[in-house]
Amino acid sequence: MKIPMSVDTSPSSSRATVFVVDDDASVRASVQDLLESVGLHVYGFATTADFVLHLQTQPPVGPACLVLDIRMPGQSGLDFQKSMAQLGVHLPVIFVTGHGDVPMSVQAMKHGALEFLMKPFREQDLLDAIQKAINIDQAHRVQVSERQALQSQWQQLTQGEQAVVRGVVAGQLNKQIAADLGVSEVTVKVRRGHAMRKLQLRSVADLVRWLDRLDAF
Amino acid sequence: MGMLKYSDRWRHQGWWLGMAVLVAVIAWVDTAMEQAVAAAVLYTLLILLALRKLSPRGVVAIMGICVLLTLGSCLWSLHSATPVGWINTIISLLAIVVTAYLGLRMKVAQSKAQAAQERLMQLTRVSNVGALGASIAHEVNQPLASIVTSGNACQRWLAQQPPQMERAHLALQRIQQEAVRASNVISRVRGMAKGDAPQLECVPLAPLVSEMMGLMQSSFDSQKIKVDNQVPTDMPDVWVDRLQLQQILGNLLLNAMDAVQTARERSVNLDALPCISVSAHVCSERQVQLTVMDTGTGLVPAVSEHLFDAFWSTKPQGLGLGLSLCRTMVEAMGGQIWAENRSDGVTGAQFHLSLPLAPETSS
Repeated sequence: MKIPMSVDTSPSSSRATVFVVDDDASVRASVQDLLESVGLHVYGFATTADFVLHLQTQPPVGPACLVLDIRMPGQSGLDFQKSMAQLGVHLPVIFVTGHGDVPMSVQAMKHGALEFLMKPFREQDLLDAIQKAINIDQAHRVQVSERQALQSQWQQLTQGEQAVVRGVVAGQLNKQIAADLGVSEVTVKVRRGHAMRKLQLRSVADLVRWLDRLDAF
Repeated sequence: MGMLKYSDRWRHQGWWLGMAVLVAVIAWVDTAMEQAVAAAVLYTLLILLALRKLSPRGVVAIMGICVLLTLGSCLWSLHSATPVGWINTIISLLAIVVTAYLGLRMKVAQSKAQAAQERLMQLTRVSNVGALGASIAHEVNQPLASIVTSGNACQRWLAQQPPQMERAHLALQRIQQEAVRASNVISRVRGMAKGDAPQLECVPLAPLVSEMMGLMQSSFDSQKIKVDNQVPTDMPDVWVDRLQLQQILGNLLLNAMDAVQTARERSVNLDALPCISVSAHVCSERQVQLTVMDTGTGLVPAVSEHLFDAFWSTKPQGLGLGLSLCRTMVEAMGGQIWAENRSDGVTGAQFHLSLPLAPETSS
């Protein structure tokens, strides 16, 4: 039997964290043990409330995902999944359940669950799902930080400069922009130069592409 | 069937005619009598009759009519030689309204009691073992999941260079603990399924059957199924566990009800009146045979073969434990259960129970 030594050794997932929420202490411990044996960083919780409390004090630094039991006393896994967005928890979810049925899995998938595994699950299924979840979360994190970078750059421009950039990208001549904004053509040229410098861009084509990326988010 | 419908309609019309006559008589007495008495109090009779037959809304309507008539005859008699008088009228109105109110309250309480009884019946129904089954499955599945996952983890700890003996050891320990936990669940279930030995006692059969039918009467009524208790009152007593026999009979009656309902849904067996009958006779020196007969869809060979198998059901929600448990219980009491199609030419099934006679009468 082939046993891969770890899920992934690439630097992107080296600090990957998996949260396991299952009320059954023994199932939780076994999943935690399995994931630790492949080199993942694992936190186990008996209730979703404990998990949320942990997130508030110690949000994950690297990519992370959540392995969630559906049937739990108190708040069920499905209910928690629905309230995750409200709580500001954006993690890929892998459901595990002892007694899944089709409507239940459909409901889970509709709310964006990544995988729905029946206990007892094949380890490879769980590890594959976790790998996928970690990758998704990683991509999500990259996207978020990229967006934040673009936005903070954009915020460095003054409102006048932003207006000029919008005009340039819309294909207007300096003269037209000046007329629209009610300023002199020289002012437009100065603002345009400032904006290009702040955004560290060389050509109008670069500027168009840059603004496209910002608007895409 | 046509005859029945006709006589039903006739009885229905007769009832309304009677009510109308009663209203007319009371109204006439109330208005035309020389003495100034509160004859309108008699309207309470109407209310009481209406309570027996009509829905709450109908009762309220009748009450409204009575109140209007009372007021009307009071107003009308103001101009005559013998006015009814306001005091009398108020007494009558109070009597009418209070009677209707109390009657309706009682009706509501009755229907609540009936609903509670039906729920109780549903609870005793053995197919409710479904919830129990799911919960047992969950109880066993959890340790199994833990064992499988721990086994995987253990393999991985051992495969590492150098092997992580400490962690592998812990995983193995967890496997052992969980295997014990699973086997504990199993032995708990086994204890439950075995149950206590039947408490055999002398039980008169006819009262037990009519008691059970009484419990389920409202369900039969709501599905318009006729039930017929043909157990002779002079049957010798049987030697059984009263509670278990009640459960078995209740289960057979519910099955019969479902079968009749299914026949109705599939529009088969329409020429037979929907009917469930229970009969009994002494079939040998030591045994009584109890039979539950229905006008359902009957049994096809493929079904009757598996009828008493555990986890085999023709019903979408059925768990397939009802008849299987019935057989276990009957056999524990020293009896037998079997089923066949009706032999009187009508489509439907009959379930037979043979039960031992009580010692006094068998010797």
